[in-house]
Amino acid sequence: METSLAPRSLGRPGLGSDVRAFLAVVRREWTIFRRYPSWIIALFIWPLIFPMLYILTARALAGPDGSGLAIFMEMTGASDFIGYIVIGTTVWMWQNIVLWDIGFALRNEQMRGTLESNWLSPTWKFSYLLGPTGPQIVSMSMFIGITALEFGLMFGVRLNGSVWMILLMMLAAIPSIYGLGFAFASLIITVKEANAFVFLVRGLVMIFCGITFPISLLPGWMQSIAKWLPQTYLIHGMRAAAFSKAGIAELLPDLIPLLLFGAFWLVVGYSAFLWMERRARRTGAIGQY
Amino acid sequence: MSEFAIEARQLVKKFPARAGTGDKNGTPAPPRQRWSFARKEPKTTFTAVNGVDLQIERGEIFGLLGPNGAGKSTTIRMLCTLLEPTSGTAQVNGFDIVKQANDVRRSLGTVLAGERSIYWKLTGRENLEYFAALYHIPPAVAKKRVEELIERMEIKDRANELVEKYSTGMRQRIAIAKALLARPPILLLDEPTLGLDPQAARRVRELVAELKREGHTILLTTHYMEEADQLSDRIGIIDTGKVIALDTPEGLKRRIDQQEVIRLELTGWHDEIADKLKSISGIEHITTRQQGEADLWEVSLHAQNSRAALPRIVEHISGNGTRLVNMNVVKPSLEDVFIHLTGKALRD
Repeated sequence: METSLAPRSLGRPGLGSDVRAFLAVVRREWTIFRRYPSWIIALFIWPLIFPMLYILTARALAGPDGSGLAIFMEMTGASDFIGYIVIGTTVWMWQNIVLWDIGFALRNEQMRGTLESNWLSPTWKFSYLLGPTGPQIVSMSMFIGITALEFGLMFGVRLNGSVWMILLMMLAAIPSIYGLGFAFASLIITVKEANAFVFLVRGLVMIFCGITFPISLLPGWMQSIAKWLPQTYLIHGMRAAAFSKAGIAELLPDLIPLLLFGAFWLVVGYSAFLWMERRARRTGAIGQY
Repeated sequence: MSEFAIEARQLVKKFPARAGTGDKNGTPAPPRQRWSFARKEPKTTFTAVNGVDLQIERGEIFGLLGPNGAGKSTTIRMLCTLLEPTSGTAQVNGFDIVKQANDVRRSLGTVLAGERSIYWKLTGRENLEYFAALYHIPPAVAKKRVEELIERMEIKDRANELVEKYSTGMRQRIAIAKALLARPPILLLDEPTLGLDPQAARRVRELVAELKREGHTILLTTHYMEEADQLSDRIGIIDTGKVIALDTPEGLKRRIDQQEVIRLELTGWHDEIADKLKSISGIEHITTRQQGEADLWEVSLHAQNSRAALPRIVEHISGNGTRLVNMNVVKPSLEDVFIHLTGKALRD
């Protein structure tokens, strides 16, 4: 056989190549996202529907003269009950969408049949999970921005606090919200179906983190559980940032736990991914539907 | 560096057997120590690949043939690092498939069976640009290479259309272009012509022959005997997870050149006739294939001496509602070799 003819690979490994591969995953995800027009509905309609359920319920329960709302606002310290509810439901929707989008990122690739062809390349495998996170954060930022715009224009919700402090709280929450998504993505590739887990986590957030009520209403044991959920600190911190003049110092009791939870969930998410990758090579799970 | 492009020694892959599947190759695993913290072993395992040895030379086309479930795809998946072997070793381009998996991936271009290995919501060009980045091809080189492959695969006019609008043949060409992007020395092609129309399949076969001339080593699995015969320098026949024969196509055919193949076309075939034909001295294998929906059957019989066997064959198939339509004696093909070795047709 003639070995002199053997072609030489054009691939040039290195950090720069891995960064370009990661950016290619981001670009691919963004391009595909834009080609499904249903995202317009998700961006403009969904931010209104879910909070409306609670806003209308609150109005109905407030009584004909609305006196219940005054009691509610006195108890929560909020100047605007709609804003109070919208912040809670938006955090819930953020976590929920991340669990579906990032949690199912690899599973969707698997069902599409493209996961194996990605896995065959010499690229750092975590890029396939990290890549979709970029477009997801962009679309989520648009989602939250449109939520603020819609409730500002249609319901007259006004912020007394600082937009920058709200953004700071959201930034601090990214590692824990997405770290949980990474752990989910690895779990889903392993067990194939994880709807029950998603329902469980979002149910926990809904009940324990006080998306529409102060957690001081919960019994003591439930408040203890709430302290172990990062969304509790995010919701509390965002409300403080939105409806008071709280600065960084006042937000630190929420910021520090959020960052600690973030570090924890990123380590858990990455470890789960490495475990899944090793397991998949042993069992062939990457190619199994 | 290994002198072989691909070298596998005693590759074994076992999977946990699924409950209720009743795998005939299922073997019980040894019992676990009661208080052991060792990894939990499954109660039964299914052995998909059972000690495969392969030595594929640089620059050759090696055909891997086997019926469904024989272990072809599992072998390919181990060689391309998607699966870790349970035991045994393999080297691809001199790199160990477990310890140097990324070097193996850089040495390989793989086309897996099925047409969904590319993104249908991206254009052909976007797919190639994306995979070029994954294979670490520098941007300037990638741009040129993508154009070159678009030209070569004859999709220039439709390169900017979404893949979902392509025909199966065009999608397969994109999948092959994807495998060629990094110009890897070794190509693994798993059923590259599966589901293609005859013209598209012919084009893929021509392409495979061209790639060999360019110096690529190609490991090809296929269901089509003629394809394997036409393209392969050597062929390995795999059955129940083992390579049961390995030779050039001509060498394989010589193994049964003492035999003749009697092909019959008849109507009214039934199992009773098969039993009668099997009882004829010198008849070794019988395979049947129904032709279309009609009651027309092609029956192949491997015989040591067709002259001696023919009168008894005619005697057994006469009457009982069976009608002989056509009969001839032919030289054994690769498919006949396969039937001789495995006792079943490739599509079984």
